[in-house]
Amino acid sequence: MIKADSKLLSTLPPGFALHDTGEDGSQEYFLNMGPQHPSTHGVLKLVVKLDGEKVVEVVPHLGFIHRAIEKMGENESFVQYIHLTDRMDYLSSHINNLCVCMAIEKAMGIGVPERGEYIRVMVSELQRIQSHLLWWGSFGMDLGAVSTFLYGFKEREKITALFEELCGARLTMNFFRPGGSNSDVPETFLPRVKEIIQDLKFALDEFDALLTKNPIIIERTRGVGILPKERAISYGCSGPVARASGVDLDVRKHSPYSVYDRFEFDVPLGKNGDCYDRYWVRMEEMRQSIRILEQASAHFPPDPYRSKEKPNYKVPAGSYFASVETARGLFCTYMVSENAMKPYRIKSRSPNFSNLSAINEMSAGGKIADLVTILSTLDIIVPDIDR
Amino acid sequence: MIPEPPKSPIPVLPNTMMNPVDWVVGWARANSLWPLVFGTSCCAIEMMATASSDNDWARFGLEVARASPRQADLIILAGTIVEKMGSRLITLYEQMPGPKYVIAMGACTISGGPFYYDSYSVIKGADRLIPVDVYVPGCPPRPEALLYGVMKLQELIRKGAWRNSLTHKPIYREPISDLMTKCAADWEEKEKKKQEEMKEAQERFKVENPDYKGYVIKRVVGPKFEEVAPTPRPERGLPQVELFNILLEKFPALGVYSVPEVTREKIAELGNQYVLDVVVSREDYLPLIRFLQSDERLRMNYLIELTAVDWKDHFDVIVHLLSIDKGHKIFVRCSLPHDEHPEIESLSDLYAGANWHERETYDFFGIQFKGHPDLRRMFLEDDFPGHPLRKDFVDPSRVVVRPY
Repeated sequence: MIKADSKLLSTLPPGFALHDTGEDGSQEYFLNMGPQHPSTHGVLKLVVKLDGEKVVEVVPHLGFIHRAIEKMGENESFVQYIHLTDRMDYLSSHINNLCVCMAIEKAMGIGVPERGEYIRVMVSELQRIQSHLLWWGSFGMDLGAVSTFLYGFKEREKITALFEELCGARLTMNFFRPGGSNSDVPETFLPRVKEIIQDLKFALDEFDALLTKNPIIIERTRGVGILPKERAISYGCSGPVARASGVDLDVRKHSPYSVYDRFEFDVPLGKNGDCYDRYWVRMEEMRQSIRILEQASAHFPPDPYRSKEKPNYKVPAGSYFASVETARGLFCTYMVSENAMKPYRIKSRSPNFSNLSAINEMSAGGKIADLVTILSTLDIIVPDIDR
Repeated sequence: MIPEPPKSPIPVLPNTMMNPVDWVVGWARANSLWPLVFGTSCCAIEMMATASSDNDWARFGLEVARASPRQADLIILAGTIVEKMGSRLITLYEQMPGPKYVIAMGACTISGGPFYYDSYSVIKGADRLIPVDVYVPGCPPRPEALLYGVMKLQELIRKGAWRNSLTHKPIYREPISDLMTKCAADWEEKEKKKQEEMKEAQERFKVENPDYKGYVIKRVVGPKFEEVAPTPRPERGLPQVELFNILLEKFPALGVYSVPEVTREKIAELGNQYVLDVVVSREDYLPLIRFLQSDERLRMNYLIELTAVDWKDHFDVIVHLLSIDKGHKIFVRCSLPHDEHPEIESLSDLYAGANWHERETYDFFGIQFKGHPDLRRMFLEDDFPGHPLRKDFVDPSRVVVRPY
């Protein structure tokens, strides 16, 4: 055990002491991973306590991209807050926007016409597929297969181009508004969605051939980073991470919003809660999203795309809550209003924050190389954790 | 304060003269840039898109991105730089062997971008920390814009920028100057001058063109929309009245937020879209949550979030719970005095996820959680003064207040 006055100890988090392990006087050591590291997917710092190659404990350090979005929200109007949620989980920006809009709608009693709801569902599902495609690409890359990155991005760019045509942005959309969306979809929207569905079906089979049945991938993910069901619930995990552990929590089914209750789709559930299940759940989710897209594009209504715009969004006093299912899990907006144009307090519950908190439980006892696999299958977005 | 490193010993030649050796070195350096994998936020995805097959930056000699600064000579600052990351960024820059270059990608690294006002942690422009060669505006910039930025950098290198000096400035600790307010007076003067000139020009135009009758502005009228009634979405699981009844059996002193003198009938009147928002005293806080979690009829096993609201005279700690099997939600709030460090029991024994939520609440509001195993700051540095989400938080050295 290192003495308390050691200089080394001052850099360690409290309660994080190194012990002698082996009979030969070998000692535990610690390794800093991040904040600048290719497989932490952003600026996340993990202090890893190691015994040889074995992970003893992982302590995440956050805040390297904490941008004070909640404080800024208190000085911006309700509608202006929408664009800040783009920059939290930028791979689910449409769905984040939707959550803020839903909270405002709930507070002010605004309804959305049929076409507006269908646009919301279709765009959300496209966003989910787009996010999972990027995850698939970077997952392969984290395990050492650079070509998956190119395959994943090739398909993703098609959806990105569609979004660009839809709202002018490729990443930070700011498209949804209370009562519908910023603008109507262009005429080319439906034919392009159908084209993308066809391409994706082919691509997903290709992905399966590349990774899903790959013996190296199976070897590196099966039985690695197991998160039992009870622990997943206790940590507040959500999204594919929780569903891989068998937690039946998908807001689209659990408490349906928009028009999700009209579509037929399954919620894929894993059994073991290991990395392979998390991988499989995401692959299956893309197929389910395609199912929703097919049903929605078959019955795309011609009505107006939004309801009447309010002259101002002065939210009556009270606290309001809305939740959606992003590509990473349960995203909630909780806002407190004092009958003003600006929120008194606005808070976004990020799914990544809770998902990452279970990392120690998943990786302790495994090898250091498995930590990268676990991080990759958690699919974290660090700006969403730090906000 | 970081001491300034010695200046580069190579003398810089005047730009007008370029010897053949310089030309060759510049050409070689410009076409073999080694970027560092450095992405903090949204721009990183566009940087990845630039590297992917559609845009393929390898065409411009940006070979494989390196994960170690010791193998790289270009940082593409993709994403916001916050104060905690600032010192790390300087370390990364120092670790790169020279000559080294920096591209500031996106609005955040140029000026703070969307996070310029009201943010207590974002550094308003990465050039306050390290010298930047090329600025690529956009939020985020398109891959084509980044490629153009790279081409501009290559131009600079060919012209002799490969002799970059190694100097850098320390982190900006003095009060941040609000450029917007500073420029306002100057701007007003210019506006006045412009108005005078315009007036003169209009009069001259009238004299020169006596027949001109002006034009009619045609306004584009957008489509009109009708109001739509919201679709009712009943909450799932136990009805709120039943939930309230069960709680009232065990905790008769329970109140409900914004419903004074609560009765069962009043809760029933609120309808099936209402989610119960109970107010609990400090003594009953932990027993209530424990009851909600363990009771067979309720089984609220999922903590959605734990947060707080600063009401200036008191704090409200707010807990959102969900039952995964049954589907009902509940909001629990507990009032705390507005002290330096108000105290409440920790939930981390009941919900493992509460650990981080409580650390976050401690960081933002300074609320102490009794019995928490590891109560440290979550996002901010340990020496950060105060708790930023309190309403009385002011820090002119970090925050530029929105002037409108």
